[in-house]
Amino acid sequence: MPFLEKVAMRRMVCSLPGDFDDAELDDYAFSCYSQLEVDGPQHLLTCTFDDSDVNSTNLEFEICGALLDVDCLNFNKLQERYFLKTKKFLLIGDSKICVKLEKKNMTCRKMNIVKIVKPEAPFDVRVVYREGANDFVVTFNTSHLQKKYVKVLIHEVAYRQEKKENNWMRVNLTSTKLTLLQRKLQPNAMYEIKVRSIPYANYFEGFWSEWSPSFHFRTPETNGTGETDPVLLTISILSFFSVALMVTLACVLWKKRIKPIIWPSLPDHKKTLEQLCKKPKKNLNVSFNPESFLDCQIHKVDGIQARDEAEGFLQDPFSPQLEESEKQRLRGGMQGPSWPSEQAGITPKVFRGESPFRCLAGNASVCDAPGLPSSRSPNGREGGKSRPLVYQDLLLGPGTTNSSLRPPFPFQPGILTLNPVAPGQPILTSLGSSQEEAYVTMSSFYQNQ
Amino acid sequence: MFHVSFRYIFGIPPLILVLLPVASSDCDINGKDGGAYQNVLMVNIDDLDNMINFDSNCLNNEPNFFKKHSCDDNKEASFLNRAARKLKQFLKMNISDDFKLHLSTVSQGTLTLLNCTSKEENKSLKEQKKQNDLCFLKILLQKIKTCWNKILRGIKEH
Repeated sequence: MPFLEKVAMRRMVCSLPGDFDDAELDDYAFSCYSQLEVDGPQHLLTCTFDDSDVNSTNLEFEICGALLDVDCLNFNKLQERYFLKTKKFLLIGDSKICVKLEKKNMTCRKMNIVKIVKPEAPFDVRVVYREGANDFVVTFNTSHLQKKYVKVLIHEVAYRQEKKENNWMRVNLTSTKLTLLQRKLQPNAMYEIKVRSIPYANYFEGFWSEWSPSFHFRTPETNGTGETDPVLLTISILSFFSVALMVTLACVLWKKRIKPIIWPSLPDHKKTLEQLCKKPKKNLNVSFNPESFLDCQIHKVDGIQARDEAEGFLQDPFSPQLEESEKQRLRGGMQGPSWPSEQAGITPKVFRGESPFRCLAGNASVCDAPGLPSSRSPNGREGGKSRPLVYQDLLLGPGTTNSSLRPPFPFQPGILTLNPVAPGQPILTSLGSSQEEAYVTMSSFYQNQ
Repeated sequence: MFHVSFRYIFGIPPLILVLLPVASSDCDINGKDGGAYQNVLMVNIDDLDNMINFDSNCLNNEPNFFKKHSCDDNKEASFLNRAARKLKQFLKMNISDDFKLHLSTVSQGTLTLLNCTSKEENKSLKEQKKQNDLCFLKILLQKIKTCWNKILRGIKEH
């Protein structure tokens, strides 16, 4: 058989596609990772077989492509690991890494050096407790801060309470400083903390670095927080009692003091008069009820007229309706009764200069003399012009002890009748000095209210 | 008939061969996301810039190379290709290893990203052998940096 035909046959037998290649790939499967600028400008590429039982005695690793000024580079072997330390990585484009057995490629893999970067492990982990802020500041260092290529990393901080295994709390960050709040940690407990890094997936990618050396710290007891509690407790108690006192005072003084200020009520003429008047003696019959004065001699007027008026008054004692024509004016000394237009604001200063009779402010309280028919016979009143009209002094002073009311007036007040006009209109419109008598019926106040 | 066939055989094919480089595209830019340029090329260009000490009047005189080749529109890749090959000439100078390393990274990295045809290579090597001074290198590096920024800016706008 010709030589070439023999070689072709051999190749056909020995290199059947499928089975043989797959077996080789499985036996010599490997993985690699790169570390850039580990020693100045030099990079490190490390490869290992996935199967630790592989007999790597005559096996070699070779990388080709994406290298500076050379086509291929061979790895160095250290125990079961193959590494290559060089500055000649282009860091752009793909490379081919092959496992060679006696110069023959057993298996190859296409890799990009910048996509299998494994950062160096962080170091110098420190935890400082800040008593004022009640937190822990975690700081650590990494060599990548001074590197040119892989500068941006994602750091993972893991911490746990030492007694609780596999209960790690993890926090991701891009800076080298982390703050842990004290309230999120158990008091008076030992904690373990460690850090690792991975390239930030911008251009460089890869794997997690090794964990940093662990750091142990103990959280303080809760005395620090307890010291501030008495002060807070005292303040809270004082505040509570202050509020309770204010509420109590508000409830007690609501009706008498607070409500009149906030929501003043309309003045009550009757009550006002009662307050203004001095408290009468026991034997005095102070009442605004006209019927209570029926037995008393009220005034010296024309007897018939007085009697008639008394009768008329008795028949209709509480007649609130007064005719306009019976408005009378007080004589003389009635000093400008100021009848306000409001009903409630009637404050006529109805008094004479010589009269001890005082009709004080509050109501149109020219005291109505019961028995004085204010709506009858206005003409007849003028006859008694020169006679004093004696009215029962409803507003007696404290010195008066007589049970019967005496007419104290030397003057002749005219009849002062209140016209039940519409609100807003002055009730007493014309009071002249020619009036000798003035009668004020208290019933008109009720009406005007 | 013989004269006509002779013309078509020996006239037109050479014409096609001559015109083919003009009609065909020069380079195809890879790494258009800018990652390779920003993380590798620009780092080395900045290192070279810091390592080169030159006279301040150097930048005033623009060499002839840049009068002939500029980063014009639609010719950015062609310019970078020529500039990268020009950098290779400086590797023959008496410079430190680190300097050579950075030069190689910029030159080879640019050519890897551009992925240009091989005919351009022979031409550029022949043209500018004599211009091997650091002033020219400084200007060349600045032009390369500017042209890359222009390419990436154009890609972002689109």
